[in-house]
Amino acid sequence: MKLEVRHLTKRFGGVAAIDDVTLDFPSGSLSAVIGPNGAGKSTFFNLISGALLPDGGQILVDGEEITGRSQAAIVRRGLGRAFQVAQFFPTLTVRENLMAAVAAHRGQWGDLARRFPPPGARTRADEIAAMLGLAESVDRVAATLSHGDQKLLDIALALALEPKILLLDEPTAGMGPEERARMIDRVQHVWAEQKLTLVFIEHDMEIVFRIAERVAVLCYGRLLAAGTPAAIRADPAVIAAYLGTEAPKP
Amino acid sequence: MDLGALVACFASPACVVTQASSGLIVGLLLFLVAAGLTLIFGVLKIVNFAHGTFYMLGAYIAYSVLQATNSYGLAVLAAAAAMAVFGVAFERFLIARVYGGNVLMQLLICYAVVLIFDDLVKLVWGADFHAMGMPEAFQRAPIFIAGGVVPPFYAGLIVLSLCLAALLGLGLGFTRMGKIITAAAQNPQMVAALGINTTALFALVFGLGGGLAGLAGALAAPVRSLSPGMGFSILIESFIITVIGGMGSIAGALLTAIGYGLLRGFGTIGFPLFTDELIYAAMILVLLLRPSGLFGREIV
Amino acid sequence: MNGLWRDSGVALAALVLLLGAPLAFSSPAFEDFIIRLSALALFATSLNLLVGGSGMISFGHGLFYGFGAYAFALLMQRTTLSLASAVLLTLFLAALVALLVGAVCIRLKTIYFAFVTLAIQMLFYSVIISWVSLTGGDQGLQGGIPRRVIAGIDINQQGHLYQFCAVLLVAGLFAMRHITASPFGMTLRMIRDNEARAAFLGIPLWRPKLAIFVLAGVFAALGGILASLFVSGAYPEFADWPFSGQAIFAVMLGGIDSFLGPLAGSAILLALNDIFTRLTEYHGLVQGVVILLFALGLRRGVLDFLRVLPGRGEVASR
Repeated sequence: MKLEVRHLTKRFGGVAAIDDVTLDFPSGSLSAVIGPNGAGKSTFFNLISGALLPDGGQILVDGEEITGRSQAAIVRRGLGRAFQVAQFFPTLTVRENLMAAVAAHRGQWGDLARRFPPPGARTRADEIAAMLGLAESVDRVAATLSHGDQKLLDIALALALEPKILLLDEPTAGMGPEERARMIDRVQHVWAEQKLTLVFIEHDMEIVFRIAERVAVLCYGRLLAAGTPAAIRADPAVIAAYLGTEAPKP
Repeated sequence: MDLGALVACFASPACVVTQASSGLIVGLLLFLVAAGLTLIFGVLKIVNFAHGTFYMLGAYIAYSVLQATNSYGLAVLAAAAAMAVFGVAFERFLIARVYGGNVLMQLLICYAVVLIFDDLVKLVWGADFHAMGMPEAFQRAPIFIAGGVVPPFYAGLIVLSLCLAALLGLGLGFTRMGKIITAAAQNPQMVAALGINTTALFALVFGLGGGLAGLAGALAAPVRSLSPGMGFSILIESFIITVIGGMGSIAGALLTAIGYGLLRGFGTIGFPLFTDELIYAAMILVLLLRPSGLFGREIV
Repeated sequence: MNGLWRDSGVALAALVLLLGAPLAFSSPAFEDFIIRLSALALFATSLNLLVGGSGMISFGHGLFYGFGAYAFALLMQRTTLSLASAVLLTLFLAALVALLVGAVCIRLKTIYFAFVTLAIQMLFYSVIISWVSLTGGDQGLQGGIPRRVIAGIDINQQGHLYQFCAVLLVAGLFAMRHITASPFGMTLRMIRDNEARAAFLGIPLWRPKLAIFVLAGVFAALGGILASLFVSGAYPEFADWPFSGQAIFAVMLGGIDSFLGPLAGSAILLALNDIFTRLTEYHGLVQGVVILLFALGLRRGVLDFLRVLPGRGEVASR
């Protein structure tokens, strides 16, 4: 599923948090959005996922405009999202989290006629958990999970909605090297297996240049540059604004 | 409903003065209680359902001190001071244990304190109604304004309450502690991050609230009968005042309380039966249309 | 499906025990206790559908309990409806009231929702006190509940009232259990834990919230009906705040995270109250101290405490 953003603009007061950004994310691509803090990356995701209403521009999914639609409608269209601070249901177990999400996705959230879980939900939940490497933790209460596992659960919840486009907001934030490697491994695995169009925000340049097919650089709400990792690494404007002389060598 | 009588009253300055003065003392006493309640909610985000108990104890303590010393001034000071200390103790030993927890737990603790002290008062002072009577200093001829009757105590109370309101407003607006309290009401985390001792601050706010409520009780004692249940109705009324006026807003509490007092004062003539329903309906409307109250700030 | 079998088994066993008890021993005091328990437990459990199950803190749930009592008593006094019809009509009317109240209140943020529900309950209470011609004012509804005999059951006899209440208690709890154990119940738990995430899963938040508000109101009204039968009328106290406070205490005492918590809490509370009122006239003082000991010492409900005890660590809410 292709994601296109055209001349997207969002203002808060007098400040343009996102300023005339145009980007394409081809179907099945793995892209990274990078930039200094405050560049508007999370706002960018908020606009695409429908959490915020843009002041200008368009967002298209497979050519169909989704600008201005509600979050729920955009979710139904096939766009999923994981958050910078992992969002899940803390008092439920991992399996319950996922079964509940699966049931909601299948329209069974209001079902009063039977007991929870509805048929098939458990199997599907276990499948998703396994995909993200959470199989051993399925019976643990979500609040007791490690930070890294909670971020994985957040992604798992997004996957329960069977998205075709997945936005990951700083998936490795707050993680040590081991957890980070595990997360990235899982992300790649999921992307390949589910044939998703995946866009992730990242600060760890090593990860970005290792796995991303395409990189977009945001700075002060504007698109500074977009292209292959190699091109971005060599781009003088990007180096000046963001990478500095610490850009990882190929 | 007797609109005719109401209109007739508005036409007579004497009636207006008489009703307005009795309405004002109702309102101003309520203001003193509500001011504490609204500060506590604004700064600590706690709804102090035990606030009526401070008021009740203030009244009873004033009664006993007056009986013992025959000095009303001393009685009032003793009540306010005792309730300030009680407020601090209540916060430190009970409320502090349930910060951040389920609001129902906080509610339960307040409810428990109400139950305990309603019975303690019965134990110490007896369950019968007590009347403090007018203190000697105020046993004078009523003041006549435009033909209306104003008991000297009423006049004194009105002046005193308005002074206190002004003091409170000035204190909050211009002293360092006052500004900290105001800031904390808007953004508690920020205040803590700035290194301000929130423990002391919270205790202080509860002490202030308790003291004000105790003071109100002592001031109300000459004109109200004392009974173990007196805390409950004042709690409900002051709660409504703070919701309509805006949680955390002293000005809101003052204006709403005066408005309410006057409504009650004139309402006894025009529509005695429905003032309760009216005030609840007003509270509901405010919550539905402008939840943070007429003068309050949006609660995050 | 084993959840359904287990719950059905428990319900059946409870019913057998309760209905069989009078055959084994005769104790009017026990029957009296169960009748009072059924009213309070239904009310408290319905409150927990909102508080523990959905994260909707309602301070004014007593509105529906009081409404149930008054509506039922008035219907029985002023119409010739049969007992069953009066019960059903009362529940239907309670649902309507809950729908109206819920529709305006649901959208408010937590603390304001609590305040406005309290305000609506207080408004209802003051109307009851004022409308003396209809409700008897602060004296309560006079005139008693006329005798109705259906299928040989005469609710004016304590024995029959006991059975009626026992059946409704078990049936009501079973129905509420079914609600919490359904996917709908799970959705409410999601809303309680993380509303934003639930919205992002495509759930239109207002619908489950309004639905549970109405259901909770209906079950509270059922409790009110039983209370009305017990006192043969209705009293304003049913809709007054101290009674709501008792229900909140029952829920917290028994355990907000356990389905039977409110039932356990209600039983403990009623038993304690019976003991206190017999021991001393200062039972408020004693109850207050007990509440403090509970709130500061135990800190969680009895059933919640027992579930965590074996050292299983964090236990998910049931």
